[in-house]
Amino acid sequence: MSNIIIQKDQLFLEQLEEAIESNQHLTNWEQFHLHYQMKKATMVTEFNELKGLSYLPHMTFLDHQINTVKTVMEDMNGRAILADEVGLGKTIEAGLILKEYMIRGLVKKALLLVPASLVNQWIQELHEKFYIPAASYRKNYRWNDYPIFVTSIDLAKREPHREAILNIDYDLIIVDEAHKLKNHKTVNYSFVRALKKKYCLLLTATPIQNKLIELFNLVTILKPGYLGSYETFTKKYGKIKAEKLQDTYLNKLIQKVMVRNRRKDTLLDEVKRNVHSVWLQFSVEEQKVYEKINDFFHGFSSLSKITFLKELCSSREACYLSLQNSKNEQVKSVNEPLLNDIAALPHHIKAQKLVELIQSFKGEKVIVFTEYRATQYYLQWYLDQHHISSVAFRGGLKKGRKDWIKQLFKNDKQVMIATEAGGEGINLQFCHYIINYDLPWNPMRLEQRIGRIHRFGQKNDVHIYNFAIENTLEEHVMKLLYEKIDIFERVIGKLDKILATLEINNVEDEFMQMVEESQTVGEMQIKMDNFISIVHDMSDEYGEEKHG
Amino acid sequence: MGNPLNIEQFLIQFFTSHHCEIQKQEAGKMTVQLTIDMDKALMNRPFYWQYVESTGNIGKPKQLTFITDPEKADEGEWIHFGSPRLEQIYQYLSKTSKFIHLYENVEVMNNTMLQPWLLTNICIMYEGKQKKEELLSIGLNLINGTFLFDMMQRLEKIQLKPKISNHCYTISPLIKVKSGLLRIESYVESYVNNMEHQWALESIQLLKEETMMIHHFYEDSEEETDMNKEIEEVTARLQPQITFDIINGGILYLTENFST
Repeated sequence: MSNIIIQKDQLFLEQLEEAIESNQHLTNWEQFHLHYQMKKATMVTEFNELKGLSYLPHMTFLDHQINTVKTVMEDMNGRAILADEVGLGKTIEAGLILKEYMIRGLVKKALLLVPASLVNQWIQELHEKFYIPAASYRKNYRWNDYPIFVTSIDLAKREPHREAILNIDYDLIIVDEAHKLKNHKTVNYSFVRALKKKYCLLLTATPIQNKLIELFNLVTILKPGYLGSYETFTKKYGKIKAEKLQDTYLNKLIQKVMVRNRRKDTLLDEVKRNVHSVWLQFSVEEQKVYEKINDFFHGFSSLSKITFLKELCSSREACYLSLQNSKNEQVKSVNEPLLNDIAALPHHIKAQKLVELIQSFKGEKVIVFTEYRATQYYLQWYLDQHHISSVAFRGGLKKGRKDWIKQLFKNDKQVMIATEAGGEGINLQFCHYIINYDLPWNPMRLEQRIGRIHRFGQKNDVHIYNFAIENTLEEHVMKLLYEKIDIFERVIGKLDKILATLEINNVEDEFMQMVEESQTVGEMQIKMDNFISIVHDMSDEYGEEKHG
Repeated sequence: MGNPLNIEQFLIQFFTSHHCEIQKQEAGKMTVQLTIDMDKALMNRPFYWQYVESTGNIGKPKQLTFITDPEKADEGEWIHFGSPRLEQIYQYLSKTSKFIHLYENVEVMNNTMLQPWLLTNICIMYEGKQKKEELLSIGLNLINGTFLFDMMQRLEKIQLKPKISNHCYTISPLIKVKSGLLRIESYVESYVNNMEHQWALESIQLLKEETMMIHHFYEDSEEETDMNKEIEEVTARLQPQITFDIINGGILYLTENFST
């Protein structure tokens, strides 16, 4: 076996002779024997054994997670895309892979690149679930100080960190939210490619958002040349739409570097989502102000008009502050009487409904999502007036504070009011109720919100309440995105694919555009209906994937 | 499979051999009073000890309650394979329990000769696209070159101690420790050379394929440094390698009866 390198123990002889000579560092039989026994009991004697499972008796892993770990280690040799749908436990899979490699001594040095808002959660999960000590980067640390660092790509790619990191030979690189690397011309992409790494895991729920070339770029990080060169790939697959990927030879190739578990194939599907639409009507005064804004800003950039209307649908406070703070001279010139009107409005119809609904839950924990900080403050005050305890959660808070708020919610408070950023990076399986006080215009973001509670570990059915006010923009959002497209009954990946085929990058922008370009409500309605029927036709094409 | 090891027994032996008193013991639960040395080794509180010692006080080593029955996990520290504490103890043993220099304990009236042996517990690591380990315990008689295998099991049957017994004497090795180790290594080398290494063949094949792919990818490009980096990485990941790691070992003086 001349191809196998044999390494002998270079240190033992000298150390032994030294120990005997000096009569120091010698041990007794009992401890010598314990050491040997322990080694014997803990060593990995089979290539294909998962040792981590017995090392982590406090954890229950799902079958698809264990299978994923095996596939990645045995068949993919540690370089893979983990592309499970949201909430199936990509983090768990990545953590278990890291653990297995560490137990085998194959990974000693690892770097985890995750969104800044998730750094703390990663560290906590690695510690609690896997007994893996990891550090987040702080000033004055050197990148060699700890064997495992969790940090954001934005920090890592900046000098002087960049140079230090690129000088280190990593045994494992994990990139979370790896779809951000889909474009090979970006700094992030070339940074990750330049990292010196043995094993590499790319985590993303949406490996293709638009074009196959995105997948090519991800695979190239793992195995350059595996899908050929950039030129040959674009020539061959450049024009093929993402949804045609099924059944192609390319798909077979990709399955050797990517694992994608779907919700419908896993036990998680047994936990049901109950979706309730809650239709509301503005009070007469509120409707009047809504129409006023609509008229006032006719002819303005429709972007600002839509923004103010959306805000009014959320709370007086959100709209008022936004109008007041507007830098636009035109807006300033007309807003004085408007502001007075808004200030005179009664309590918001949604807020009243919210209190009623929460009271009907009889003390059950609820997460309320709103898009606006001003609404968040208002709701916290308003709930307090009705003796409902709540905590406010938002992105951008310090680590410790986020954990503290989460703990407070778990132990003491009934309601967590979260803004959009609060949707990322917290697991709240102990809660079974979500109220979408404002609906985001992007279904992916809604999916992420729900993913906080409808995920691995959730044992109860979850209830989702979507608020919308009739005769406002919200009616269209609800009807278009959440009832007709029927998102909850479908696998999110499918909608992904449909939107990708339609070359729609961002539903929110698309929707904005429809509203913006329409002269009348009727015209808007027609455009939306068209859009919906196209989506429906396409989803019929993928009929075999129909859920349930 | 590794040996099933009784963790409770292991802990009792570990702590008593380090002079820590087992204060309470019931099924699945034990309380240990640490000594100062053990506290320093396990509790990770250097500032406390530094403070205590600089003020001339006597420190108070901690008591630990270990749980091996998960049902009682909230009554103390749950300790199991993979738990940080056991890992810490293993690391401690790896550092402190590597070398021995011991004599067989015999009660004799006549002058008795003890022969020198070199003992090595060698972990062989087979590493390619995956990795596994094998543990060999080999003894070599440094007088006549006799090999003994499963040496640890054999040694479990006798008593070993740091002082030579009365009426016993040792003879100097004819084989130096250094050449003894070479003999053991060349034995282990021929042992692995005589094995089938399907895993290595697979790794080599894969390495070839992936290296070819990389060459192909960079065919028309000027970026040779990039290509070499990728090739280095794939080689580090797939190149089959066998490593001999001597877990622990030492010199023993044993009676002639031992090997018969």
